[in-house]
Amino acid sequence: MFRHPRRFRFLAGLFALVLCPRLYAADPVRMVLEFQPDRDNGRQVYATCARCHLPEAWGNHDGTYPQLAGQHVNVLLKQLLDIRTGKRRNPSMRPFVQERTVGGYQNLVDVVSYITDLPMDPAHNRGPWPEATPEYAKGKTLYLDNCSGCHGASGEGNNEKSYPRLQGQHYSYTYRQAIAAKRGLRKVNLGMLAVVNRLSEEELKFALNYVSRIPVPKKDLAPNPGWRNPDFK
Amino acid sequence: MTDKSKLSRRRFLQAAGSTLVAGVPALAVAQHEPAPDESTAQTPPSLARLLRKADLPAPKGPRVVIVGGGWSGLSMAKYLKLQNPAFDVVLIDRQPAFLSFPLSNAWLADQVDLEFLSHSFFEAARHHDYRFLQATVLGFDREARKVYSDAGILDYDYLVLAPGIEYDYARIGVEDPVEQQTLYHRYPGGFYSSSELLTIKRKIHEFKRGTFLLNVPNGDYRCSAAPYERACVMAAMFKKHNVRAKILLLDMNSDITIMKDAFSRAFHDLYADIIDYLPSSMISNVDVAGRSVETEFDEYSFDDAIIYPPIRASRLLEEAGIVNPSSPQKTADTDPFRYNLVGDEHVYITGDSRSQPFSKGGHTANSEAQYVAEVIAGHALGREVVWRSPQTMCFSTMDIDPLRAMSHITYYRYDEASKDFAFDRIHSVDNWDVTGGQASLAWAEGLFQDMFYE
Repeated sequence: MFRHPRRFRFLAGLFALVLCPRLYAADPVRMVLEFQPDRDNGRQVYATCARCHLPEAWGNHDGTYPQLAGQHVNVLLKQLLDIRTGKRRNPSMRPFVQERTVGGYQNLVDVVSYITDLPMDPAHNRGPWPEATPEYAKGKTLYLDNCSGCHGASGEGNNEKSYPRLQGQHYSYTYRQAIAAKRGLRKVNLGMLAVVNRLSEEELKFALNYVSRIPVPKKDLAPNPGWRNPDFK
Repeated sequence: MTDKSKLSRRRFLQAAGSTLVAGVPALAVAQHEPAPDESTAQTPPSLARLLRKADLPAPKGPRVVIVGGGWSGLSMAKYLKLQNPAFDVVLIDRQPAFLSFPLSNAWLADQVDLEFLSHSFFEAARHHDYRFLQATVLGFDREARKVYSDAGILDYDYLVLAPGIEYDYARIGVEDPVEQQTLYHRYPGGFYSSSELLTIKRKIHEFKRGTFLLNVPNGDYRCSAAPYERACVMAAMFKKHNVRAKILLLDMNSDITIMKDAFSRAFHDLYADIIDYLPSSMISNVDVAGRSVETEFDEYSFDDAIIYPPIRASRLLEEAGIVNPSSPQKTADTDPFRYNLVGDEHVYITGDSRSQPFSKGGHTANSEAQYVAEVIAGHALGREVVWRSPQTMCFSTMDIDPLRAMSHITYYRYDEASKDFAFDRIHSVDNWDVTGGQASLAWAEGLFQDMFYE
C-alpha cells in the first residue's frame, strides 16, 4: 500500500490585522507552508476518524457520510480546516478536528495523504436513472454545461484548486449537499452557489445522477464491495 | 362533544375525569379530585391554569409542538427550524435544565464535571430560534390538534412525541405501584431522571465495603453498553480508593449484549477481583427492605444496589390510547420510515419511545431527528424525502485517571426479506485507550454544541 511520499503544498490565508489606528483593514497575507506527508502517522491519526467514518472511508449508501477514500488531498484538507474554523458548519465533527484533538497541520497532512490513497467503494450509491434513459441524457448535458468547468468532464475534480472529485461519490450525498447549498444550509463559494441557484432541484438530480454513473478508474477501486481495510484488522 | 370550540372550562373539567373528550386522557391530577358538582361549579384555582392557553406569542407559521427535551426533542427542534424557518417550534420539557446521561458514567468517577453535562434549554432555544416551555404534558387531542399541559393548552399543526422511556418494574416482579416507587427511590437505575444520577454518585462515593449489586435489563433497553460500562467505572473507583467492594453484575440476558469480548476482557483482566458477572440472571423479585434480589434459582443479598429494570415507552403514549397492544415495550404503530402515527401525518414519534428497533441512545436520537425534521418539513412544504438510517455511536469508559474508552458504531439498513431493520455496518474499536477517552469527550462536546449552541 505504501506509495511514494507525495510533496504537496497548501495555502493558509492569514489575515493580519494591523493594530494601527489609521488603517481600517490590511491586505490578506498569504503564507505557503510545505509538509512532507507521513502516511504511517496518517494511518494512526485516521484511527480516530474511522470510529465514525469506518476503516474504509467509504461513507454510507444513504449519504449521511461521504466517501472520503480517493478524494483529493487539498479538498480533504480544505474541508478539515473549514470545519475546524466553523466556516463549514458541522458542530458534531468540529471538536474532532481541533488542534487540541487531532494535532497540528502535519497531522492533517498525514491523515489526508492516508485517506486519498485508500481504494474506493466499487459499489457506491448511484442515482436512479441508468444510461439510455432521457433523465440520464438530460443530466449529461446539464453536467457538462454547468459543472464540468470546475469538477472536470469526468467528475475528476481539481486538487490544485480544491475542487472535489465527484466521481465515485455517493449520489445520495452529493444530492443532499447540493440541496443544502441551494436552501442556504451549507455555505459554498460563489461559483457553486450560482449553479445550485440556477438549476432546479430536479435538474440537480439529473446532473448528479449522471456524475454518479461516470466510471471510476479501476486502479482506484477496491477489488470488491466486501473489501475491508487490513490496516484496521 | 363534537364542537370543540364550545368546550367550556367546566365541561372540560368534568370530561377530564371520565375521558369524554376524544383523545384526551384522564388528567392524572383531576382523577384524584372529587368530580366537580354542577351546582357548585367552581373551577379549583390550582386547575384553572390547565384550561387557559399557554403563554406563548401567536404563531407566525405552522406550529410544531415537541414533547420531551431529550436528545431527540432538542435535535428535532433545531433541525425543524433549519429545514423550515417558517415553523413556529415549541419544545416542552418538565425539567428546568438538561443533564446528559451520555458521559454520566465518566462523571460518576469525576472524569468530567457537572458543567460538562448540564446545559440550559434557554440557550438551545435562543441559538436555534424556537420557544422552550417548562411544563408537564398531560395529554393531547389529535382531532382538535391540541396539547394539554400544566402550563396551559397549545394548538399544534404538527406534534412530535419524544417523551422517552419509563421503567417497567412489573417485569422484575415488582407489581405494586407504591412498592415500585419505594424501589425507585432507594435503588434508582440511573437512566430516567437526573436525581437518580446524583443519588448514584453519592452512593458510590460513600460505599465502604460489601456487595454492590448492579443489573443489566433484558429487552431493547436504553444504552446497551452503559450497565457494563458502569460496572467498570465503579470497579475502577473502588480499586483506586482501596474500597473492599464486590460488584455483583446480574445480567438478565444470556450473555453480554454488546462488545462482548472487550467487556469480558475488562471484567477478567482489569477488575477480576471486583466484578462478579452472572449472565442469565432473570430477576423475579426485589425485596427492598430486606436488601435482596431473587432470580429464578437464586437469591442475592446486597449492601447497596442500582436496579435498572426493563423499560417501556413513556406512559403518555398509552394514556393517549395509541399503543399497539402486542408491543412488549408499549410503543405505538408508526410508519417505520416516516415516523408518523399510522393514519395521522400530524403526529410523529421519535427518540427512545419510537417503535423501530434501533439502539436506544443519544446519538441514535440525534441522527434520527435530523432526518425526521426533513420529513416533517417535507410534509409541510410538499418536498419528497428519501429514508436514511440513523447511526448509533457509542463510547464506553473502561478505566479512569486517565479516562480510557472504547467505541462502537452501528449503521442500519432495511432488510426486504425479513421486512424489518437490520444492522448494516458495525465498527468496534475495543482496545480502550486515552485516545478513545479523548474521542468520547469530543463526541459529547460536538453533540452538545449541535443541540444547544450552534
